[in-house]
Amino acid sequence: MLKRALAIITLLIIGYWLAQGLTGVPFGQDRMLVGQYYLNNVIKQTGSVNAVTAIVVNYRGFDTLGEVTVLFIASTGVGALLWRRKKKRTARTEGSVVLTTGARLLVPFILLFGVYIFIHGHLTPGGGFPGGATIATAFLLLYMAFTQYEIPHGAFEKTEGVAGMSYVLVGLIGLALGGYFLYDWIWQQWHWGINDVGRLFSGGFIPIIYTLIAIKVGTELSGIIDNMLKEEVRE
Amino acid sequence: MNGQYASLLIALPLISAFFVPLIKGAGEKAVKGYLVLITTLQTAVAAWVFQTVYTTGKPIIVMAGAWKPPVGIDLYLGHFAALFVLIVAAVSFMTAVFSYVADIKPPADKYVMLSLLLMLGATGMIATGDIFNLFVFMEITSITAYALTAYNKTGEAAEASLKYMILGGIGSSFFLIGLTLIYGSLGTLNMAQIAQLAGSMNPTVAQVGLSLIIFGLAVEAELFPLNAWAPDAYQAAPYAVAVMFSAFVVKAGLYAMVRLLYLMQTVKSWHSVLSLLIAMAVLTVVVAEFAALRQRDVKRMIAYSSISQVGLIAFALALGTRAGVDAGVFHMINHAIVKALLFLGVGYVGVKLGGTSIEDFRGLGRRMPLTAFTLTIGSLAAVGIPLFNIFWSKIRILVAGIEAGYTWGVALILGASVVEAVYYIRFIHAMWFTGEGERIGEGISMSLILLFLAALVIVIGVYPQYAWSLAQKAGNDIFNVGQYIKNVPLMPLTGVGA
Amino acid sequence: MISVYYFGAISLVLIGLYAVLVKKNVLKILIGLSIMESGVNLLLVSVGYIAGRSAPILSEGVGPNNAVDPIPQALVLTAIVIGVATTALALSAAIILYEKYGTLNIEEIRRLRG
Repeated sequence: MLKRALAIITLLIIGYWLAQGLTGVPFGQDRMLVGQYYLNNVIKQTGSVNAVTAIVVNYRGFDTLGEVTVLFIASTGVGALLWRRKKKRTARTEGSVVLTTGARLLVPFILLFGVYIFIHGHLTPGGGFPGGATIATAFLLLYMAFTQYEIPHGAFEKTEGVAGMSYVLVGLIGLALGGYFLYDWIWQQWHWGINDVGRLFSGGFIPIIYTLIAIKVGTELSGIIDNMLKEEVRE
Repeated sequence: MNGQYASLLIALPLISAFFVPLIKGAGEKAVKGYLVLITTLQTAVAAWVFQTVYTTGKPIIVMAGAWKPPVGIDLYLGHFAALFVLIVAAVSFMTAVFSYVADIKPPADKYVMLSLLLMLGATGMIATGDIFNLFVFMEITSITAYALTAYNKTGEAAEASLKYMILGGIGSSFFLIGLTLIYGSLGTLNMAQIAQLAGSMNPTVAQVGLSLIIFGLAVEAELFPLNAWAPDAYQAAPYAVAVMFSAFVVKAGLYAMVRLLYLMQTVKSWHSVLSLLIAMAVLTVVVAEFAALRQRDVKRMIAYSSISQVGLIAFALALGTRAGVDAGVFHMINHAIVKALLFLGVGYVGVKLGGTSIEDFRGLGRRMPLTAFTLTIGSLAAVGIPLFNIFWSKIRILVAGIEAGYTWGVALILGASVVEAVYYIRFIHAMWFTGEGERIGEGISMSLILLFLAALVIVIGVYPQYAWSLAQKAGNDIFNVGQYIKNVPLMPLTGVGA
Repeated sequence: MISVYYFGAISLVLIGLYAVLVKKNVLKILIGLSIMESGVNLLLVSVGYIAGRSAPILSEGVGPNNAVDPIPQALVLTAIVIGVATTALALSAAIILYEKYGTLNIEEIRRLRG
């Protein structure tokens, strides 16, 4: 009881302190500095109408490279921690008729929807991470519906590695062609899609990187699900 | 060669880590050899960067995507970053050799990937010039560290890792709130521009934001009271990982903290944040030294000793004077060398004898004379005896502390040092004057690394001049914020915040 | 007075922190951490809001002068992924913990370890 009271008092102090700080940052006011620059130049400089995507992939590409790495670490770490000499699925109850039929019917459409999300990342809200996560839900559905289902994790792991390497390679090609790491050589040097702004084939290397990210995220999240659902079997 | 190629420091470990799944079929030895190869390459790149920066005297600014800061993210490889990126790479190479010799629990391929990414995270934290990018690299470092802490898959390891994750999660949330406050009032994330505009910030916002950031980074920098995870993690983690934690992960956290602290020195409420940090640092030293005295496990004892030294570094860096920063950076270099030596030596004993409790070290002078000899040098250095490297940096920190008017802090630290001497002498006594045993063969590669580190300890101890000049240049890089702002080619922007 | 959006975000952070400090079950602590992260993300997004403007997708009549600040939204995207990664890793550590000790109560784990 005393512990709870102490915790609540501490939290109230922290809350008051944070509120003090936040009064200096009034809500809803225009305080943009770098943000306005992005809004003014995003279409000309990156060919993407979605400013958030342009920032994520192009202007602040280093962050996204790091973000991809973080997810890679999570999947590697889960794989390392839940590594057992022999693992198998141990679920006993088969999914209900509704679930199995629904899964058979829906999986292709979920995959298609995931692809739609990441391909249109530079035009609409979305992109590689939500797209990849949507793809992973298709596999999650398969795991829930069928007790024997398993992803081909060897192939998935290799795909994950290749997608990650390709991302870094796209950046290194930029270093070789334009002299800067993660330089958008497709838009700034080759000027591809310059007349198609707002349509699918534009946005420089954003669609390419988002495709790679989506493949990576999809395989990684499926791998995490696979690792968590399987249990050790002893001979 | 073009300075932009310094981005290989990030690209190389990353692409190599992604490559590991493709070669894991080649077997454990091959994957571990691959780790040695990549860390060697990384050391070569880092050495090139170090050489370039120290001969031209100018920092290398890597601009990702050709965007000038503050529009894009820049890497700032100044005197400090060039030096410490080299230390990170060199220590990673040593631990890679150690992992090659030692047995690593399966799956070795995952271990290799995580080691590479830990190196990447620390490198990025030291090099980046953007505050949110710093957060991303900090998360890379800490999430890798969580995974490596639990790598042995024992109950203690999982518990230590969870403790670390919970504290780390709170820390990163705090950091992000602080970042939100700073971004909300300045409209930029570039560190040079933040430094430029800091003077115009509302003092309350600056104080709350900066304190939150310091609290957030204190988890990585192992400062009291957010270092509860550290001793458990050091003990539970594989030996090579403990080396990396002590030699560079904590340094990266400390550096990030101090860099942000000094960048915002024009803020009106700056001195209150400094005193907060000084109090945390002194408490870290005192608490850790007394905890170390009670340990029966040598790895844990050295872990506590490492934490107390980190507190000492934080004390020096938080003094707010040029002398303090220089001395703190000097101590960072020395501490990295000595703790790498001690943890590698202890790890080697642990691998050979199967344990690291003080009983295992009895008679080590007869069983593994070379390892015992280097461990003795490391211990004597850690105590701060003249003619060993730590003596020089410790004395400079104490003098700087007195000059800055923190006599009480210096007195407490001196008292704690006596405690430190007691347990290290007990350790040396156990190695040389108790126990008997058969001689055990010591491998050539590990002996060479240990001897190299021990030689470095003595060389810096006898001729401290060169290392001290490096430390002064690196310290100037942190302390001289005006120069930092001038070095970053900021693009002029017009907006509401400016 | 602070805005209701800030108030909501800070409240989420504090609720999460309360769960972390007080709860005994590891899973509940991890849920607390997730709540805290959501609160922080909400705060970050609300700092980027500008009254009367719409989402920063520059088509269909949205020009550079009537869109909100895009940077916080990009940052939150990154922060969410980082949160997911931490949670996944923490859950696998919790699985190991349950395998070794047969419980997720932190007090019992402390007792079992002795």
